[in-house]
Amino acid sequence: MANKSWHFDRRTFLRGTGVAMALPFLECMAVAAPKTAPAKRMCGIYFPFGVSLPKEDTDQAKWRWFPKGEGSDFTFNESLKSLEPLRENLTVIGGLSHFKCRKMGAHDTGDTFLTGAELTGSLLKNTVSVDQVAAQAIGTQTRFSSLTISTDGGVGEPTRASTLSFNDKGRPIPALNQPQQIFDRMFGAGDADQRKQKRRLHSAASMLDLVGDHSKDIQKKLGAHDKAKFDEYLESVRQIEQRVARAQSWLEIPKPTLNDQDRERLELDADDQAPKLLMQTIYDLMYLALRTDSTRLITYQIASMGDGSSIAGKFPQLLGFKGNLHNLAHGWNKPDGAVDLGKWDQYQAEQLTYFLNRLKSAEEGEGTVLDNTMVLYGSSNSQTHNNNNYPLILAGGNQLGLKHNQFLKYEDTVPMTNLFVSMLNRLDVPTENFVDSTGELSELFV
Amino acid sequence: MKFGRLFLLFSLIHFSALFAQAEESDFYQEKVRPILASKCFGCHGAEEPKADLRLDNLSTDLLHDRPAAETWHDILGIISRGEMPPKDEENLTTEERRLIAGWLQTEIKKVIEAHRSTSGRVVIRRLNRVEYQNTMQELLGVKMDFTRDLPPETISPDGFKNNGKSLGMSSLQLEYYLEAARRGLERVIVSQAEPPEVHKYTFDKPSGSLAAGRKKSLTLDRQHTFCVRMVDKYAEQGNFRIKLEVEADVEGKIGFPILDVSVGYQPDTKMMLTSCGVEEIQTNGLHQFEFTGRIENFPLPVRGQGKFPGLMVTVDNRYTDGTKAAKFEKDQKQEDYEPDFPKLTVKSLEFEGPFFEQWPPEYHRAILFESELREQDEKQYVQAVLERFMQRAWRRPVTPTEVGKHVDFFYAIRPEFPSFEETIQETLAMVMIAPEFLYLMEPAGDNKRKLTEWELISRLSYFLWSGMPDEELVRLAKNKKILKPKVAAAQVDRMLKDPKSANFFQQFATQWLNLDGMDRVAINPTYYPQFENSLRDEIRDETIQFFAHLVKEDLSALNILDSDFTMLNETLARHYQIEGVRGISFRPVKLDSKEQRGGVLTHASLLMANSTGEDSHPIKRAVFLRKALLNDPPAPPPPNVPELDAENADFNQLTTREQLSRHRQDEACADCHINIDPWGIALEQYDAIGLWRDKIRRKKHDSNQFIEHEMVTSETLPDGTKIDGATELKQYLLKHRKDDFSRAVVTKLFSYGLGRSLELTDEETIDKVHTKFQKSGYNFRELIQQIVTSESFRVK
Repeated sequence: MANKSWHFDRRTFLRGTGVAMALPFLECMAVAAPKTAPAKRMCGIYFPFGVSLPKEDTDQAKWRWFPKGEGSDFTFNESLKSLEPLRENLTVIGGLSHFKCRKMGAHDTGDTFLTGAELTGSLLKNTVSVDQVAAQAIGTQTRFSSLTISTDGGVGEPTRASTLSFNDKGRPIPALNQPQQIFDRMFGAGDADQRKQKRRLHSAASMLDLVGDHSKDIQKKLGAHDKAKFDEYLESVRQIEQRVARAQSWLEIPKPTLNDQDRERLELDADDQAPKLLMQTIYDLMYLALRTDSTRLITYQIASMGDGSSIAGKFPQLLGFKGNLHNLAHGWNKPDGAVDLGKWDQYQAEQLTYFLNRLKSAEEGEGTVLDNTMVLYGSSNSQTHNNNNYPLILAGGNQLGLKHNQFLKYEDTVPMTNLFVSMLNRLDVPTENFVDSTGELSELFV
Repeated sequence: MKFGRLFLLFSLIHFSALFAQAEESDFYQEKVRPILASKCFGCHGAEEPKADLRLDNLSTDLLHDRPAAETWHDILGIISRGEMPPKDEENLTTEERRLIAGWLQTEIKKVIEAHRSTSGRVVIRRLNRVEYQNTMQELLGVKMDFTRDLPPETISPDGFKNNGKSLGMSSLQLEYYLEAARRGLERVIVSQAEPPEVHKYTFDKPSGSLAAGRKKSLTLDRQHTFCVRMVDKYAEQGNFRIKLEVEADVEGKIGFPILDVSVGYQPDTKMMLTSCGVEEIQTNGLHQFEFTGRIENFPLPVRGQGKFPGLMVTVDNRYTDGTKAAKFEKDQKQEDYEPDFPKLTVKSLEFEGPFFEQWPPEYHRAILFESELREQDEKQYVQAVLERFMQRAWRRPVTPTEVGKHVDFFYAIRPEFPSFEETIQETLAMVMIAPEFLYLMEPAGDNKRKLTEWELISRLSYFLWSGMPDEELVRLAKNKKILKPKVAAAQVDRMLKDPKSANFFQQFATQWLNLDGMDRVAINPTYYPQFENSLRDEIRDETIQFFAHLVKEDLSALNILDSDFTMLNETLARHYQIEGVRGISFRPVKLDSKEQRGGVLTHASLLMANSTGEDSHPIKRAVFLRKALLNDPPAPPPPNVPELDAENADFNQLTTREQLSRHRQDEACADCHINIDPWGIALEQYDAIGLWRDKIRRKKHDSNQFIEHEMVTSETLPDGTKIDGATELKQYLLKHRKDDFSRAVVTKLFSYGLGRSLELTDEETIDKVHTKFQKSGYNFRELIQQIVTSESFRVK
């Protein structure tokens, strides 16, 4: 491992410089961003190939991912059992899917989980993802407008994207996948890319300054009609100057420091050979990013649909499950297969439980970080090859107006994008439409 | 009606006169107010006005009282639709209603024109997308998509995309300009002193795999593709060169083979490929081709990700045989090569990348030129580099102060940047977000002044090339010769011969005739199962090539109304069912009179753009004709007009002409539509994809069955002439509306050339140029020369 610097920091820290370093993060931040209400946040977490869904009248019924019952009267099956203590903090949702994706190849829908676009044609063009819609509106309030993570990292390839996030032009946003790298960006000194960014921000500031002065001289020489038009240019320069200044001020504000406990817990050299450690470390970093208000929007793709090429494909095997992700997923309609897949579902849900519990453990305002964070967890297949009835959990956000402790079953006439519209509005990002949405899911609200 | 038109004319003539206001008030006082007083003030007067609306004291100065203008606009709609006066009150007579409507339409038109007016001056013009793309490409010498992030362009009220007043700027846009400049400069200015490693592959058999649907082979036909894959070592940056040798067998076959070479990769079950060259082969035997491209412009696999790693090159034979592309399922059963189709056999394919003649590459040297200065006196070198670049970018000489500021900037940021090259990149980026680069800068105060020689060459090159001036124009600016009208006129000849004039043909034809309207029409496959969307480009090209041909060959502009030829290639000729055209290139094809294809009115492009995608749209076609070809746009429909359809169920049973004439039974609608509908009815013989038809087919409401209607193509024009069908329409236009048409051409081209809307103050110039245009036999080249040597073109 080339990058061990963090371990060195920890030792230095433990030797006694801690008092100075342990300034609470909020005090550092207060200079730049005075706090009024707690931040509103959103996470999207994705796993591929769907879940185990044996019929309710079979011997394997207890491995059905969806709970028994409906509404507030529901019982978790084996797969989601670990979430029982968090009932009051979550809603299980069935029946939803993206309409436009139903006709796509079943393995092609990972790219569109958060976008709802129809990814067909020769250019395979996607559209903006829900987290990036939010990032455009509230992203400037934090150092990082959003954080995009996946196990594979980068962008992958169309239909097998290794990212959940797509910008307003529908282009994939590269995902980070190394814990050390994510940590360095959030809490460390900065990598080469950041230095370049800093350099360019700095030069852009003086560039705009010069161009602005120069343009004011030009403005004086213009006639009435030109003046009115040229004002647009001057105004644009001023606006970017402000934006650059804001971006720069984030560069000047020290990054948040972490407390002992948090630092001790992180296993930044976790890699894909140790899946559990890796997943938990990613969840730890997500938790820290949210708690320190470094960002309010995170997407995490646990594995991509690229079965042969996804690093995460082998996770189940490494953990002692029977087969890789894709094989497990394909076994859902055989009795043993349903159980094998169910166990994997259960395992993944336990990791989610871990994450939600961490968010719940951190107090914030009147409640917890979880109460101010909506976590959407799910897949774009119900069983493998089936683009309907996405298995979904919406957790957290109790303080954002969400009602929980229920299992909602929707008809297949309700587009999943209605869920996005509902979530965006809870984030205070006023939204009427998202792709093919028809409204909000009022059952989710208090 | 006649009165209304006369009145319109009357008021326009007096529009610029100082006392116009008083005279029109008289008209209101004497003619309009008495009617309103007798029929409207009763309810909308001083005492308890209904709907809170008083007409007796509503300002008639629409020009200066915006709210009053809005109210009058509503009133116009209400009166035209016959909603007022209410049924139980005494109605307006037809004469009265026309009088009020005529007065209001004139006043409203004045408000609109005043709002658009720029006092007859060009407003500082930002480069539009096409101009920006061309300028970036010429300035930096590399082909890249510089406009991908820019927001779409605003179109001016008269349909142009180079109108200074309409082209806006925003911070988002400016940010993307900075980003595009940095992105481009990063590619052009190379930092490494040593040339990168070159990978060169030669293939004589296919390798790799294809997504389902194609089979790999050396011999190419409907189902066979040649493909190669380079897995470990291949360039991911810079140019590449493909050398290809193929053997063709075209003898006695259907169509010519078309070679299509693409670069990309295979993301799992799909193929992502972008074509880097298409060549039609018309003769037997061996053929060699060379294709080059910029590798970053093609879909590139991400290293270490993906099931099928590696860069792919594919070669297809994509000739068409007039039928739908063969389905794979069908072809699979057919293992043998199809004997009737032209064959291509790949002999060898060589892929070299990065490909460069020298290092650093030419485009790098064009900016960071070789000089001893660089070692001896860096500051002087930086100064020289900047001066050279700024002059080109800003399209004028630059002052030492201007250069000095940039040199200072270079040294101010130098300590923060890791290398000389990266500091230069950043400094040049500043040059490219300056207004001098992004706009056609012609700083002038409130008084008109003559353009400088530098401003003039920019106007010329953005007019005829949609790009920056070349060396010849710069030379003529330096010695000021361009200011001589004769020299400028000679430059028009040269510039139109240059391949860059394709920009002008495409941009002007597209904007003038609103060819983009095609993109807004979706062809319904239930109606036209044989229509393939790939034909759209060719349909659009016919009109563009037609215009280009008229200009280049000095043919009369009247050909636009009717001609004995059109521009076709094989696929488009097949669409029109015209025999004997082979090959993909467009060429003039002599038309038989029975084909009824002469002039643009019966080009599939315009027929389709002004259709519903299922049927013709006679009103749209008529509005297009009046707007683009006669420069006589009908008044916009009054607010809240009901849709032309119907509450009654059997409306669908009527022919289009019957539907329209029912619509005209409503007198208020008739006032305008009597001068709209007939123009469109004459084109009824052409369906939504521009094909000739004898019956109108319309789908039944609740089933997939079609009912057929007889077609009526005859109608009476407002002046009483009866015309039947497209041919008579064209003859009528040539005979009776020739002057309106040629004046429309002059106005549109002038407007485009100047980058602004024309106003009343331009009338005199237009008249003069128009007369010369008529005398020249409607010659476009001479018209362009007239425009660029006119006073309007040479002042700011």
